[in-house]
Amino acid sequence: MELTDTEQQFMEKAFEYAYEALAAKEVPVGCIFVYKDEIVALGRNTVNESRNATRHTEINCIEQVTDYCRDKGLDLGAAFRQVCVYVTVEPCIMCINALYDLGVHSVVFGCKNDRFGGQTVFDVGSVRQAPTRIKGGWRAEEAMNLLKEFYKGVNPSAPPSKVKVRGKKT
Amino acid sequence: MNAPKRLKLETPTKPTLTPILADELYKELPLIDVYVGKIKDPKTTSKVVVELNSVLPIPELTHLKRVRGKEILLFPKGDNDEDDCLTVLKQKGFDVDLIESQVRVIAVAEIPPKVRKQYEVVHKLWPCNFHSNAYWEKLSTNSLFSDSELEQHAKFMRIAIDICDICSVRVSAVVVDPVITSVVGFGFDQTSDYPTKHAVMVAIDEVARSQKGGVWPRHQNYDKIQSLLKMKHENLQFGFSTSGEGPYLCTGYSVYTTCEPCITCAMALVHSRAKRVFYGVKSEKGALGSSCKIHIVENLNHHYEAFAGLLETECRAVSCEQ
Repeated sequence: MELTDTEQQFMEKAFEYAYEALAAKEVPVGCIFVYKDEIVALGRNTVNESRNATRHTEINCIEQVTDYCRDKGLDLGAAFRQVCVYVTVEPCIMCINALYDLGVHSVVFGCKNDRFGGQTVFDVGSVRQAPTRIKGGWRAEEAMNLLKEFYKGVNPSAPPSKVKVRGKKT
Repeated sequence: MNAPKRLKLETPTKPTLTPILADELYKELPLIDVYVGKIKDPKTTSKVVVELNSVLPIPELTHLKRVRGKEILLFPKGDNDEDDCLTVLKQKGFDVDLIESQVRVIAVAEIPPKVRKQYEVVHKLWPCNFHSNAYWEKLSTNSLFSDSELEQHAKFMRIAIDICDICSVRVSAVVVDPVITSVVGFGFDQTSDYPTKHAVMVAIDEVARSQKGGVWPRHQNYDKIQSLLKMKHENLQFGFSTSGEGPYLCTGYSVYTTCEPCITCAMALVHSRAKRVFYGVKSEKGALGSSCKIHIVENLNHHYEAFAGLLETECRAVSCEQ
C-alpha cells in the first residue's frame, strides 16, 4: 500500500504508542486521530491497567477527540466525519463499529487482526451502512511481530487456564 | 400488538424469554445427495460393508450408518450421474456383483444433528448417529430455566427498568453475579457525556471499578440510585465476591439490558467474557439477533448466551426506537 509522507509520519507516531504498550505489558496497539492535519488524540491500549477489556486505544482516542471538540467549541458530529484514524492493528469489531457510528472519514491500519478484526473475523461493514474508508497493510509485519511478542508472554491479568491437556495424567 | 386477545386459562405472570441460538442448534440440516445400492444377498451384508469401508470410506459422513436393511450407502453423488456409479465402484476395486445394478440417489444429512429435533428429521431420510447433549436440548427447546429462575431473571430486568425510570433514560444495564445473586454494577446511557458511554459500556466500567480499575468517574447519583433500588426491592444485594480465583472482567456474570445491545456493546461483552446476556426489546441495530449475532461468531475466543424478550412490554415502555 502507498501512504503520503505525512501519513507515514502519522503511522510512525502510532507505532511509537504500540511499542509503549508492549513495554507496559498491554496488547501492543497504538493509534492516533487526525483532524485537519492535526493530531487531536493519541494513545495505546489500557485494558490491563484499567481492568476494563473495552479500553482499546480507539475508544480512548474517541474520548480525547470529544474533549478536544468541547474545548474548541466544535460540533462533535461534523468534526468526527473529518477525522482520519491511524492505527497499528485492524480495529476490532467493537471499535470499528464505534468508528462507523461516528462516521469517521478513514481508517489506515497496519496488520490484520485475526482474533477480533472488524473486517477479518466478522465484517461489520456487511451488516450496516459504513461511510468510512478503510485500508490496511502498512508495516504489517512489524505490527504483527509486536502482537506475537506480546502473546508470547503471559497476560498478567488473566486467571490460570482451566483447560486440561488431553491425555496428560496428573 | 393489536391481535385479538386469546382466552387465557392461567394468569399470565410467568416471565418469558427467547434464546438467540447459534444456527447449528435450530436450523434445518443441509442435505447431500448420495448413491444408495441394494445388497443382493443379505448374508453378504457385513462383507459388503467391510469391503466398501476399505475401498471407499466416507470420512465426511461418519455420522451416517452405512446400511439400512438391504440398502447400502455407496458414496456422495457429486457431479456424476447414476450410470457412472457402478463404474466408479469397479475402478475402486469393489465387487459390483454383490449389489443390484439398479442404484438410486437419496438426500441425507450432510452434517451430524446437534439436537433431537434435527435428528428426528434426518433420521427418517437415512439412519444417523446422534449423541444427545442435555444442555443443548434445554437451550434449543427454551426449557433451560425453571419458573423460579425465570422470576429471578425478571427481577433483575425490573431493576434495569427502574434505573431507566429513575434516571429518565431509555437504556440501562445491570451486571449480576448469579452465584451470589448480587448486582456487581449498573450503568445507563450517558452518551451525551461521551459517544462511547452506552449503558453496557458504563456497566462494564463499573465492574472494572469493583476490580480496582475503571476509567470513568462514577455518576454523581450512583449511590442515590442504589439506595432507591434497595428501598424498592427487598433483599436486593449489591457487591461482588472475591472467592475462588477472584473476579476477572465479567467472567461468570449475567448482564440485563432493557434494549438489545449494538455491535460495539455486544463485542464489549465478548471482550469482557460475560456468561449470559438478557435483553428486553429488540433493536434494528441490535447485534444479538437483529442485525447479526455477535455472541456466536465462530472465530471469536469467547461466546456467551443471549436471551431476548425478557419483560419486553415493560422494556418497550421505557425504551428507544421501537
